[in-house]
Amino acid sequence: MRTQDFIQKIKSNEIDIVEHTHKAIEECKKLNKEYNYFNAISEELAIKQANDIKKQLKQDKNSLKNKKLLGVAVSAKDAICVKGIESTAGSRILKGYKPLFDATVIKKAVEQGAIIIGKTAQDEFGFGSFNVNVGLGFEIPKNPFDKTRACGGSSGGAAGITQKASFPHIALGESTGGSIAAPASFCGVFGLTPTYGRVSRHGLIDYGNSLDKIGTLGKNAYDAALLLEAIAGFDNNESTTINEPINNYTDSINKKRNNIRIGVIKETFRDIDGKVEKNARNGIEKLKENGAKIEEVSLSLPVKYGLAAYYILATSEASTNLAKYCGMRYGMSEELKGNFNEYFSKVRSEHLGTEVKRRIILGTFARMSGYRDAYYIKAAKVRAKIIQEYKRLFKKYDALVSPTMPILPPKFSEIEKLSPLQNYMMDIMTVSPNLAGLPHLNVPVGFEEKLPVGMMLTADHLEEGKLLQIGSLFDEE
Amino acid sequence: MNKFKTDIVVGLEIHIEVDTNTKLFCSCPTKGSEEPNTRTCPVCLGHPGSKPVLNKKAVEFAIKLCLALNCKVNKELIFSRKSYFYPDMSKNYQITQYEIPLGEEGNLKLRDGKEIGITRVHMEEDPASLIHPSGMQQSAYVLVDYNRSGNPLLEIVTKPELGNAEEAREFMKQLITTLGYLKIFDINNGIIKADANVSIKGSDYTRIEIKNITGFKEIERALNYEIARQKSAIAEGRKLEQETRSWDSEKGITFLLRKKETEEDYGYILDTDLVKTEITKDLTDKIKKDMPELAHDKIKKFVAKHKIKKEDAEILAAEKELAEMFEKVAEEVNPVLAAKWVRRELVRVLNYNKKEIHEIEIDEKHLIQLLKLVENKKITENVAQKLLEKLVEKPFDVNEYVKKERLEAVSDVSELEKYCREAIKENPKAVEDYKSGNEKALNFVIGSVMKKTKGKATPKEVNEIIKSLLK
Repeated sequence: MRTQDFIQKIKSNEIDIVEHTHKAIEECKKLNKEYNYFNAISEELAIKQANDIKKQLKQDKNSLKNKKLLGVAVSAKDAICVKGIESTAGSRILKGYKPLFDATVIKKAVEQGAIIIGKTAQDEFGFGSFNVNVGLGFEIPKNPFDKTRACGGSSGGAAGITQKASFPHIALGESTGGSIAAPASFCGVFGLTPTYGRVSRHGLIDYGNSLDKIGTLGKNAYDAALLLEAIAGFDNNESTTINEPINNYTDSINKKRNNIRIGVIKETFRDIDGKVEKNARNGIEKLKENGAKIEEVSLSLPVKYGLAAYYILATSEASTNLAKYCGMRYGMSEELKGNFNEYFSKVRSEHLGTEVKRRIILGTFARMSGYRDAYYIKAAKVRAKIIQEYKRLFKKYDALVSPTMPILPPKFSEIEKLSPLQNYMMDIMTVSPNLAGLPHLNVPVGFEEKLPVGMMLTADHLEEGKLLQIGSLFDEE
Repeated sequence: MNKFKTDIVVGLEIHIEVDTNTKLFCSCPTKGSEEPNTRTCPVCLGHPGSKPVLNKKAVEFAIKLCLALNCKVNKELIFSRKSYFYPDMSKNYQITQYEIPLGEEGNLKLRDGKEIGITRVHMEEDPASLIHPSGMQQSAYVLVDYNRSGNPLLEIVTKPELGNAEEAREFMKQLITTLGYLKIFDINNGIIKADANVSIKGSDYTRIEIKNITGFKEIERALNYEIARQKSAIAEGRKLEQETRSWDSEKGITFLLRKKETEEDYGYILDTDLVKTEITKDLTDKIKKDMPELAHDKIKKFVAKHKIKKEDAEILAAEKELAEMFEKVAEEVNPVLAAKWVRRELVRVLNYNKKEIHEIEIDEKHLIQLLKLVENKKITENVAQKLLEKLVEKPFDVNEYVKKERLEAVSDVSELEKYCREAIKENPKAVEDYKSGNEKALNFVIGSVMKKTKGKATPKEVNEIIKSLLK
C-alpha cells in the first residue's frame, strides 16, 4: 500500500492505528531476529503514540486532517536522539544512555503524526561503509536480499528495514560521507541526503559537525520526499540550519519537466565493477528516454582529492566530538580508580571499537601542531575548491550522475579481507557531494545476480525538489 | 637578546565572567540556585546531540570591552575547539577563539599615564568548578559542579609590559573600573581571575607562569611573593627553569604545578556547530554610540570643568556610581566641597556601614540639600557628618529635619558668648591651667561649649571667643 493511501485510510478510520502499530512492531521484532536492523525497538512509545492518534481521531478528527505522516511508522538511525529511548549511536560506550530530549527531526515527525518504532543499526558513530564496524556487543545487520552480504553503511539498519518492512515505513538516516546513499544502494531503496543545514542536527550524536546531515530513506521517491518535507527547516536550537523556506517536496514527484540537463561524471565510471556500470548506464538511458539531455562531464578534483580531504576533516572533527565519552555523567563507567587520565583511558579502551579508535587517532594526528597546516588546514582548502568545481558544473546541469557504490553488495567474508584504505575507497563516489554539502539521492536502477544496484543523482544546494523530481522517474509504479 | 627594559617583566592573562543573564551557548541562567548542578542542561553538560547556540548579548558585551580597551574589532566572530581532557570540561574541549580573536592590539592606561599593550581579547566558555573537599593538594577525589559550566568569559591578554606587582594590581584595578562603567561585570559577585607570566632580569627573563590568582589584591601578593622567590633563588645561585606554578592564597605561596618542557598541544580546530557571526559596522557603531564616558574621560573632565584636584578626581572616577553622584552634586554646590564630601565623608560612612553606594537609598538630592546647608554655614560640618550617617541608614528631607531638630548652627555671637561665659565659670581649674601656660587646657572649655550647643557651633569660632574673654 502506498504511504499516501495508508494515511488516507488512517484518517478515514478504515485502518485501526493501534492494531496496525502492534502488527508493525511484531514484524520488526521478527525481522530483527533474522536481520539485526534495530538497536532498540520502541514498542511502548509507538503504542502510546498510536493510542494518542486514535483518541484524537475520535475526539477531533479535523485537527488531524493536515498531518503529513499520520500513523506512518518512522525509524530513526541510532545516532538520532529520542527522549527516553536508549540512543547509543551504535557504541557500547553509550550503552544505557537515554536522552533527555528529542532530536528536532523526531519532534517534527511526531508533530506530523509519525509513529517512532525504534532505533536502527549503524556503524559505531557512523564510522563505516558496510555497517560491519558495529560497536562492541552489537549485531551486524544483514542484506535484505542475501544474508551473507552487507547492508552498506553506516545507516545499514535504516536501509534494511526500509526494504523489508511490509507496512508503510520511512527511515531517518544520517550521512557524513555517504552513509545514506551507500546502504540505500546496497538495499535497493531511495536514500535522500539533503543540503547541509536543510535539516536540523539538534539531537544528532555527532560524527563530523561540518558534514553530518540527517536524511530520509523510503521505498520510493515520494516517501523520501514526504519525510523530508516534515523535518526540514530552520531551527533555533541549531546554528547551522538554513533559514530558507521549505518546498513541498512531494509536489515535485512525477511532475513533468522538460529539458533536464544531466552531467555524467566520467571519472566515476573508472575502475568499477562492470555489472554496476551496466546498470548505471541503463539508468542514464532511462533518463534519456524521459527527455533528459545527457552529457559527459569531468570532475577531476573531487574524485582525486575528495576522499583524502574528507577523511582528514571528518576524523579531525570526530576526534573532538568523541572526547566527551569519558565515563562521566552518562553511558558506560568503570570503577573509580587511579587519576582522571587513567580512568577515562580505561573507559575508552574498554568500550570503544577498533575503527573508532583508529579514527580518533587519525583525527588527533591531523590537527596536532606541526601537522595541522599540512593536513587539517590543507584539507579545508581542498574542500573549498571542490565546492567551486561543483558550482561551476551546476551552472550548466540540473543534476550530476554517477554510480553510488563501485561494487555490488559484498559478502561479509570479502569485507574481512579489505584493508582500512580499501574500505575507505568504497566512499569514492559519495564523499565529494557530502564534502560539498550538496543534496544527493540514491535511486535503484536494476538488479544483478539478484542484488540491487544504485545510481546517485547530485544537485545544487537546496535543489532537493529537482533531485526528487528526476529521481521519481525511477519509482516502480 | 635583552628585549626588556625593566628588571621585572609581568604579562597578564585575565579571565572575566561577564554579567549576562544566560550562559554563552545555552539558555541556562548564570545566577540563581547555588545548589550544585541545578543550573544545567544538555548543552552545558555536554550531552550527546546537544548543540551550542551563541548568546548575542555576550557578543555585545565583548565588543564593548574591546572598544573600551581601544582594540581593533575583527569583522568575523569564529569559535574553535581547544581539546584537552580534564574533569571540569563537559565535552573535553573548550569552545574558545583561536586564529582570529574578537579584539586585537588594544591598550589600557595606568594612573600615571603608562600605557599597557593588550594583545588580544577573546570570548570563551567557562569550565565547571571543581570542589576539592579536603584542599587542592590533599583530596583523594574531586566533586564537579556544572552550574558554572558554559558561563561567558572574556580573556584579555596583555603584552609583557608591567614592571612590577603594583603595576599589575593597578592594571587590574583600572580594568575592573572600566568593567564597572561598561556594566558588563558584576562587581560584587563576578569572578575575575588572572594567570601571570613573571620573569626577572637575573634569570635572563626565564618565563614562569602563575595560575589561579583571583582579584586585584591577590595579584599583588602573588607577584610580590613570586618575584622575591625568583630573586632569592638567583641570589643563592640556583637556576630558574620555565615552569607553571599555582598560587595558594591561604598559605600565601606559589607552588610548582608542572615543568614546561613543551608547549601544550590543544589541537585546535574550528567549531563548525557555530556559524561565522559577522560583526557589522552597524553593530559596532550602535555599541559605540551607547558607550558610557569612561573613567579616564571623567578624570579629565572633573579637573578641567570642576577644578578639583586630580587625586580627588581619580578616586571619584574609580567607581561609576560615585563619579555620577559627584557630577550631579557638583552642579548645585561648590565642586570642591562636593568632591570632599563625596570622596571622603560619603565613602567613610559607606565603609563604616559596610555598604556599596548602589545599596543605599539616598540620592543626589539629599546630598545637595545637606551640602547647601554646609556651604551657607547653616549647619556645622560636625552636624552635617552626623546627618549623613543618619541619611545612609534611611533617607529623609534634610531641611525639615534640621528645622525640626533645631540643628542650625549657632551663629549669633552674643548667644555664643553667653555659652562661653557659662563654660568659663563652670571650669575654673582648666581656666587657671590655661592662664598658667597650658594651651591644651583650653580644649576642655571649648568641649564644654560644644556640648552645650550640641555641636551647632564651630570650634574655631568658640576658641576665638573664649580666648578674647580670657584676655
